[in-house]
Amino acid sequence: MLTRPEKFFTEIGTDAIDRGLADPMLSEFFSAVMSSQTGTQALRLKSFLPYLSLCSDRVTDDGPPPIFYVGSQSSQRDLFGEGWAAPATVSKALTTPDPELEHAAADGYRSALNGKPYYGYARTPVSIDGNLVEVAFERLIVAIRPSVQSDYRFCAYFGVIQDLQKKT
Amino acid sequence: MQPIIITTLEEYYPEHAQPKVADKNDLKASVEAAGLSDMWNMILTFDYGVTSPDELSPEKRDEFLNVMSLLLKAFDR
Repeated sequence: MLTRPEKFFTEIGTDAIDRGLADPMLSEFFSAVMSSQTGTQALRLKSFLPYLSLCSDRVTDDGPPPIFYVGSQSSQRDLFGEGWAAPATVSKALTTPDPELEHAAADGYRSALNGKPYYGYARTPVSIDGNLVEVAFERLIVAIRPSVQSDYRFCAYFGVIQDLQKKT
Repeated sequence: MQPIIITTLEEYYPEHAQPKVADKNDLKASVEAAGLSDMWNMILTFDYGVTSPDELSPEKRDEFLNVMSLLLKAFDR
């Protein structure tokens, strides 16, 4: 009988994208960003923005940077819901609702902010409003400088859900 | 959603006094002061397809301004 670990995050590397093994839209986004010069990459985001989540460059030991934008068709909006993605009032920074997921996901953001775009695959249980689901997804994270004059960067997250199952 | 349990009077915050969406001009000034105007312009033009929040419906304007409030918190500025 085949068994698999309940939770794993693994880096596949962007070579897999170049070899055509990634989701087509994710690949298109990666090509658009990588073919642009630093400081002009943000100009290529328009057609991809609905699929992206954007967060700051403030990664911590405990988790990825806080999120400020969740695209209308992004995987995080699909997974965590409209109420999470577009809060009616803003009283604190936006993070994903599962602290364990936050902790496990942070390395990809560190890699991207260190100048190496991160492409990986993960399968993990996630707690959403007290309900446990198991989700498998591929994700690409790239750090982008909004313009050549900007003194900060933001992370663009492109996730694609491959499998989603309720856990009993 | 988990119920919010209030145990002391100090924790009570009347519903009518809940924070509303930040004022547009104050928020724009805060974003500019934080050096984040690039993000204001990018999201406003790319996603909402306008150059000013005044061109948006009230619902869309509130949504955009909430994104900008999240932006300030995300960069801790």
